[in-house]
Amino acid sequence: MASVSACQAVPPIDANPEEPPPIPNAVAAIESILRQPRRVLYQLRKPGSGRLIAAMVLVAVVCSLIYGVIAGTFSGGAQLWAAPVKIAVGLLVSALICLPSLYIFACLSGSQARLVEVFGLVAGLAMLMTILLIGFAPVAWVFSQSTGSVVAMGALHLVFWLISIFFGLRFLNAGFSAHADCSGGGIKIWMIIFVLVALQMTTALRPLIGRADTFLPTEKKFFVNHWLECMKQGSD
Amino acid sequence: MQRGFVTGSNPVSAATANLQARQIPVLLGGNPAALKDWATRWETSRGLGCAAAIFVGAGLYGAAMGYWRSPIQASYNLIKFPLVILATSLGNALLNGMLAPLLGLNLRFRQSLMLVLMSFTIAAAILGSFAPIVFFIIWNTPPLTDQTEISWATYNFVQLVQVIIIAFASVVANVRLLRLLQALSASEVIARRVLFSWLVGNLFLGSQLCWILRPFIGSPGLPVEFLRANAFQGNFYETVIRAIGNLLST
Repeated sequence: MASVSACQAVPPIDANPEEPPPIPNAVAAIESILRQPRRVLYQLRKPGSGRLIAAMVLVAVVCSLIYGVIAGTFSGGAQLWAAPVKIAVGLLVSALICLPSLYIFACLSGSQARLVEVFGLVAGLAMLMTILLIGFAPVAWVFSQSTGSVVAMGALHLVFWLISIFFGLRFLNAGFSAHADCSGGGIKIWMIIFVLVALQMTTALRPLIGRADTFLPTEKKFFVNHWLECMKQGSD
Repeated sequence: MQRGFVTGSNPVSAATANLQARQIPVLLGGNPAALKDWATRWETSRGLGCAAAIFVGAGLYGAAMGYWRSPIQASYNLIKFPLVILATSLGNALLNGMLAPLLGLNLRFRQSLMLVLMSFTIAAAILGSFAPIVFFIIWNTPPLTDQTEISWATYNFVQLVQVIIIAFASVVANVRLLRLLQALSASEVIARRVLFSWLVGNLFLGSQLCWILRPFIGSPGLPVEFLRANAFQGNFYETVIRAIGNLLST
């Protein structure tokens, strides 16, 4: 007797006979991705999904900017504008860097998703991730005002980011599974690559919290090295 | 015993004989039923499409790789990296075309060339998709010049990433090729035999072509050049044997 694989446990999105209503605007997109993610996945498969994708990208950018302002309140000054710009740009660039490999992994896994749909899933990932970051923003702000440790604040932001990206990646995985194709190990490998690229992006665009003489760093280093140096400086 | 192969109509190939960008997913998906017709029916436009895909994908990856040394090296690799692949395919085309029927798979010369090109197209598409990631990694690494100190760990990390990506692309491409050969020959043994013989030939010629067309990154102490002055003196295998000899004699 053949076992049911994990991807077959999710019914194909077209199996639902009731067609969900289209998502008309950004607010509806936010509501849908939180409460009815299948509605978002359904609309991404339909022609004319460009508006929804544009709305999701816009929400992701706005939410990144807002969370960036919160992160910037730790140091104040130039960080109040530098941090939001870096977080928004870093998110978009990380997604664009990893998008071609996601499409290739999807093709290798046998997915029938078109490039536009894959782009839409990444936009959905970014939107869900940044919406959740906004949810964490009040907590982040409270800690920003009550601690002076860069290491502690950095670790806190990292935890919030990891939780948010977990749900974003879960949405992406559901998107591929809902195509009635197996999402496959390739998508999971891509998720690891995306997380690593995003983590490296935080170091490439440092500082996101704390102060520096230049907008961007003059020295190139990998994120693990940077974290270890920060922790060493923090303990001295 | 030679195995024949079945040709049949295929909606993908029936629609067009070109390799269009939207057919790359079909190629990557590797469904033998969908690709059999591509393999068995030579179309010049499809062959040229594969060559173009190889140029774009492998070229972008080569450029990302060469950027570590300098932007000029990147621009040289844009040409050299795909050139290695295409020269290997064409240089071994006659040999591969002869080995297949000798080993039991009744393919014509152009059909075996098409199969090899399809396999390299898959590898090039994968490499091209990783080019932005490799470029990002290189951008985060100190440039490879004689004025820069790069830690041993950083250097080895970058090399390891390159090896992993190239190995992944190669393995996937060869697995796809093996499945197609199995579908064409209806025999796993013949398919493996043919794939192995093609691999040996391609690796043998490809290694020497890489030697001739070096550098692809280049030593920081040497100038950035399209080809080394001694490109046509010596060969890859001589160098390897000499290196082993030196190692054993110390």
